[in-house]
Amino acid sequence: MGCMKTTSNHAIQSPYVVETAGLTKRFGERTVVRGVDLRVPRGSAFGYLGPNGAGKTTLIRMLLGLTPATAGSMKLLGHPVPAQRAQALARVGAIVEEPRFLGHLTGRENLTIVAAARGSEAASRIDPALEQVGLTARANDRVKTYSLGMKQRLGIARCLLADPQLLILDEPMNGLDPAGIQEFRGFVRRFVDEGRTIVLSSHLLDEIEKTCDHVAIVDGGTIVAQGSIADLRGDGHVVFVGVDDTDRARRLLAASPAVERVVDDGETLAVTVPDARVVPDLNRRLVEAGIAVDRLELQQASLEQRFLEITTRLENAA
Amino acid sequence: MTAYALPTPRLVSADVLKLRRNRSLAAVTAVLTVGAVAITVAIMELLHVANPAKHGPAGGVANLGHVAFLVAALGTAAAAIVGSRAGAGDKDAGVYRDLVVTGRSRVSLFLSRIPAGLAFLVPFVAAAYAVEAVSAVVFTGAKPAPDTRLLVLTGLWTVLEVAFFYLLSVAVAALLGSRSYAIGVVLAFRLAVTPIVASISALGIVRELMPGVALQALTPSALGDAARQGPAIPMSTAAVAAVLLAWAVAALALAGWRDVTRDA
Repeated sequence: MGCMKTTSNHAIQSPYVVETAGLTKRFGERTVVRGVDLRVPRGSAFGYLGPNGAGKTTLIRMLLGLTPATAGSMKLLGHPVPAQRAQALARVGAIVEEPRFLGHLTGRENLTIVAAARGSEAASRIDPALEQVGLTARANDRVKTYSLGMKQRLGIARCLLADPQLLILDEPMNGLDPAGIQEFRGFVRRFVDEGRTIVLSSHLLDEIEKTCDHVAIVDGGTIVAQGSIADLRGDGHVVFVGVDDTDRARRLLAASPAVERVVDDGETLAVTVPDARVVPDLNRRLVEAGIAVDRLELQQASLEQRFLEITTRLENAA
Repeated sequence: MTAYALPTPRLVSADVLKLRRNRSLAAVTAVLTVGAVAITVAIMELLHVANPAKHGPAGGVANLGHVAFLVAALGTAAAAIVGSRAGAGDKDAGVYRDLVVTGRSRVSLFLSRIPAGLAFLVPFVAAAYAVEAVSAVVFTGAKPAPDTRLLVLTGLWTVLEVAFFYLLSVAVAALLGSRSYAIGVVLAFRLAVTPIVASISALGIVRELMPGVALQALTPSALGDAARQGPAIPMSTAAVAAVLLAWAVAALALAGWRDVTRDA
């Protein structure tokens, strides 16, 4: 199944498949999505990362026209939404929350129903889509007999009926076993290799880091960081330091010009340093200051540490 | 309304598929239509055979009216069940949002349910009426047999009654977003509220605004009171058409608007 390059000149010109500006959603007095400016680069696996209740699903529902935005603007594949919703969604596949189907129908019949709602070409994509997700043998079984993993794969097949340039997957790993997660990750990489863009929302930081190449970190309905995984992670290292006096050690290390950041989780200090060669010097300073060091563990900086740094900073600021 | 908002034959077929492949829905609809008529006619004829002096034959004009009333009443129950499934089934199953994200207009998704449900329901009603019509002619005995014109008019009246309440059920289900509430509301309206309102003569012309009353006014006169519940309230055919059309348009417009504006 080939991925058509574009549907319009605008789509060719725009380097972003999703663009939002000041996107806001309020339910009564409660603001769930707050002025989100999101840009998803074409041909990327983009993670939309945030804790439960951060407004991830609401943002996706607005993008797909399932619920109206309270304020702001958005474009999908270069088309303004909701003004050109039909054109925008013609090449978008999506799984919102968990994939749902009519259990009394077979997998093939469920796809037939969605294909009927799409253009006439969609019906010809049913068999290739089933084959691509490995469901051909079970296509004529009723969906109520499917496992969760099979339903997820059928959800992907349903997305493929659009020959999508953009796939939006909301928490796709939820409930999957390790093999299912591994398989899903494979789908995502394959689709990116085919030139499609994947937007994957998740609260699982590890999954985003393993699957995506770009990420937006969202908290409290606001994007707090956005960029490539490598940029957000940075080139630095993190040294986990165990000491008998964390307060004094934190002040001493934070004052060092060789240290970027110090995060105190109460028991251990996570010290971000741009160059691993400064670690012996840091150890020497602590010891000379009379602080006993019982742990000194050097690691490559991970997205998780960056995420914790950002959210810790936000908590401290609040 | 743009062309994209109109339901395509493919979309209608997909909606028929959803209904047709639902075994329990098909079974309940069959029991409420063909099954009910077949059982009723069989019992009437068996009673007649067992005791001809006390029980008349199952056929004839009067029995055509009685059974037509039965088909209309139980057909309305079937219409409420099928209509609520068509109107709110996708939402109940959680697949409505997956249809909306195809970019297909919600108006189109809504409108496709109307011909689809009728394509599913009307054959059952027609089959039930066919059983009724055949028995009315075959089991006539010494009674007068219904002529072709009466059979056709009675059949059309039966199908119209069921089709109207199907439309109302789709609209109520889409409006409420719930199958079970829609079934309750439609059945209460048809089987309880309408006869009560029709029997309050002080309401005068207001009674004629009830679709059930208007439909009863269309009952073929040759059937007499056999196919009627409550008092006879005469109405012109134009008035009946206006009442039914107004209800259908208002209900579908309101439900379509609700479907388009609510969160999917």
